[in-house]
Amino acid sequence: MMDTNQYMGMFLEESREHLQTLNSCVLDLENDPENLSVLSEIFRSAHTIKGMSATMGFTTIAELTHEMENILDLLRKGQLKASHDIIDTIFRCVDTLEQLVESVASNNESSIDSKPLIIKLKALAKGEAVLDATVKAEAISIAPVASSSIELSDTEIAVIKKARDQGMQAYEVQVSLREGCLLKSARSYMVMNALDEIGEVIKSIPAVEELEKENFSLSFQVIVISGSEAEKIQHTVLSISEIDQAVVLPCVLPNDTKAEVSVPKSIESMIKKDDEAEKAGNALVHTQTTVEKKNKSGQSVRVDIDKLDTLLNLVGELVINKTRLEQIGLTHKLTDLVETIEQMDRVTTDLQAVVMKVRMVPVGQVFNRFPRMVRDLSRDLNKEINLIIQGEETELDRTVIDEIGDPLVHLLRNSIDHGIEHPNEREEKGKNPIGEIRLIARHEGNNVIIMVEDDGKGINADIIKRKAVEKGLISQGEADAMDANEAVRLVFLPGFSTAAVVTDVSGRGVGMDAVKNKIESLGGMVDVETKVNEGSKFKIRLPLTLAIIQALLVKVSEEIYAIPLGSIDSTINIVPSDIKTVQNKEVILLRGQIIPIVRLADVLNIPDSENNQHTEEELFVVIVHIGEQRAGIIVDNLIGQQEIVIKSLGKLLAGIKIIAGATILGNGQVALILDIGSLIQ
Amino acid sequence: MLEKSYASSEVQLVVFKLGKEEYSVSILQVQEIKRITDITRVPHTPDYIKGVINLRGSVLPVIDLKKRLNLPQQVLTEDTRIIIVKVDELSVGMIVDAVSEVMTIDQENIDSPDVVAGSVAASYLSGVGKLDNRLLILLNLEEIIGVGQETKVV
Repeated sequence: MMDTNQYMGMFLEESREHLQTLNSCVLDLENDPENLSVLSEIFRSAHTIKGMSATMGFTTIAELTHEMENILDLLRKGQLKASHDIIDTIFRCVDTLEQLVESVASNNESSIDSKPLIIKLKALAKGEAVLDATVKAEAISIAPVASSSIELSDTEIAVIKKARDQGMQAYEVQVSLREGCLLKSARSYMVMNALDEIGEVIKSIPAVEELEKENFSLSFQVIVISGSEAEKIQHTVLSISEIDQAVVLPCVLPNDTKAEVSVPKSIESMIKKDDEAEKAGNALVHTQTTVEKKNKSGQSVRVDIDKLDTLLNLVGELVINKTRLEQIGLTHKLTDLVETIEQMDRVTTDLQAVVMKVRMVPVGQVFNRFPRMVRDLSRDLNKEINLIIQGEETELDRTVIDEIGDPLVHLLRNSIDHGIEHPNEREEKGKNPIGEIRLIARHEGNNVIIMVEDDGKGINADIIKRKAVEKGLISQGEADAMDANEAVRLVFLPGFSTAAVVTDVSGRGVGMDAVKNKIESLGGMVDVETKVNEGSKFKIRLPLTLAIIQALLVKVSEEIYAIPLGSIDSTINIVPSDIKTVQNKEVILLRGQIIPIVRLADVLNIPDSENNQHTEEELFVVIVHIGEQRAGIIVDNLIGQQEIVIKSLGKLLAGIKIIAGATILGNGQVALILDIGSLIQ
Repeated sequence: MLEKSYASSEVQLVVFKLGKEEYSVSILQVQEIKRITDITRVPHTPDYIKGVINLRGSVLPVIDLKKRLNLPQQVLTEDTRIIIVKVDELSVGMIVDAVSEVMTIDQENIDSPDVVAGSVAASYLSGVGKLDNRLLILLNLEEIIGVGQETKVV
């Protein structure tokens, strides 16, 4: 396999990608079993994995995907219906494939056994709703079962119809004898007898005479009319020794359309086939996405992120130098140069935009694994949860995308485990039994906001306080002095966990502070709002880390500051008498809205200079906003709009809240960039 | 700490002046020496942080070394320089009154800083070098820059 080694990386990358596609598509399929385009997508991905793994010589993967493909093909042709059982099995396949691929990646000889799954897939392909219990890992193989579509004569159909009218049901019982069974005829006789006791056997394949002559391999089928439940029939048959498997299916008449097949409720537990059964499933996850899925498979090149970083830095330098040239052109009044620079300006702007875009990745890349996680978790916890994802097209810098996954997983898990109540508890509270978790991403100025919102039980500030005091995180006095909002923020303290029971999911108390640290290391902030019995809302604010932004340069005294254009509403001129005071805070009235004002010179402790003569003149106010919050920033002068390259202030100065970074101006001077968010809070 | 394991037990020092006293840092920690340029004040920082400068496209913090060591202030002169040092992957500029020379001194001639502790907090010093009639105070840059400690935001 020497020659395949070089393709290993590619194989792993692509397999992971296809597995991700599989995961999300199968989820879609679960919610919309009839959707052929989703099915085709699944089929394509499975097929690709099969092809690749076969080429690479990973037979286990190829074998499993092959069986999976068979099922998918049947689904696609409409010969099988995407039942709960089938979906579950496909999910298990995807999981196993993931494990197999990862074991290939880590070069471990895989100890993963895909046999049971293959057996199950084979059985499903034959239309059997195999119960997990009957598929034992040690089951070596299943005797070939004749096709399930038993041909019924007109009289038999009539009998079945009549039985249905009387409230009975016709079942097709597929019986497989254990391999090595010695007295096959005796066993089949016992099965017939047992079935006769609880119903009426109207047909068997092969015929009874053939059965008695042992003219069959290991399995036979019986059509029985009975008032008993399918489960009972199965139980009856299985109680006979040397029976390996018994599958009970409702008998489908040729002229039965799908809708007409009335499956008694009792069967649902065994063969979850129709939509009602799906609803009966304890935890059902609907994923609503506001955006249409783009299943574009364009051509792409994988590039090392370091190379992109270098490219970005170079473009940054180019922009700085361009600005410098601009200034030279203007000061020396060189018309030719100014014109050329205008041309260059256009090119660099485009170049910048492209480089930025290259680095930007839609958050959907992180979000797309959550529906599956929420589905599995809510199922484990017996909760019903509706995950709503919005704004998955919102783009974030690649580096942020890579880091944001874990904190989000944690927040979601918390919401599922601690936030959303059990369905009956919710009903008692008069809420919709199906809980709702919203995962929302959106732009806000130069930030991206990601919110994890649930309509669960919320966080009780008093309990939080008590716990924090118990754990010695704060003193009783401190707790008493805290308002509810402050108290809730205690969950971000290290070593805090309120869950009464430590579950697998969350509650180990290592959670929220880790989330907070992670977000802050990305230059973001996380906050929580909560209302008891109404739910909690975790809000993450992340910088776009757009290294180049448009900004307004302003002058205060002799210092120059940059305000990101994204958070600026407008700039206005006022006279000092326009400033009113409300509760000792300075405000202005703008278009009927009261806007608090911030005097930049005060906030930045700018050393006193003679700039107080401004009092009689006009004042420049930059109206900024963060979310719904607005403020007016009073500056001495407006210099103009410019694109700036954001530079970090470095580790030593990282703690300064109101400064978001620095930039280098055309003349080589450093100007600081204001962090509007912390400035107006 | 200074690179004490220097092969010949000699260390090379960059010697500079703060007021009338002579101070030094290991040459291995010095990246470059620069004339004074525009320094942008950064609000809400300790007073010894003079601000930030542009060093070929990157932004570096600059420390007013005399303020940090509680030495009397002096006006900037033609001789004032910024020594760019690198400590723990962190580049920082330090304003000094003048850079005089680079000299080699034997490890044996470096005494413990306790001898002169007094005007300057002892933790900022890592030793005193004796050379002929001169006394060179060796600085402990880790402590001075405050690597590892949280920035004290005022």
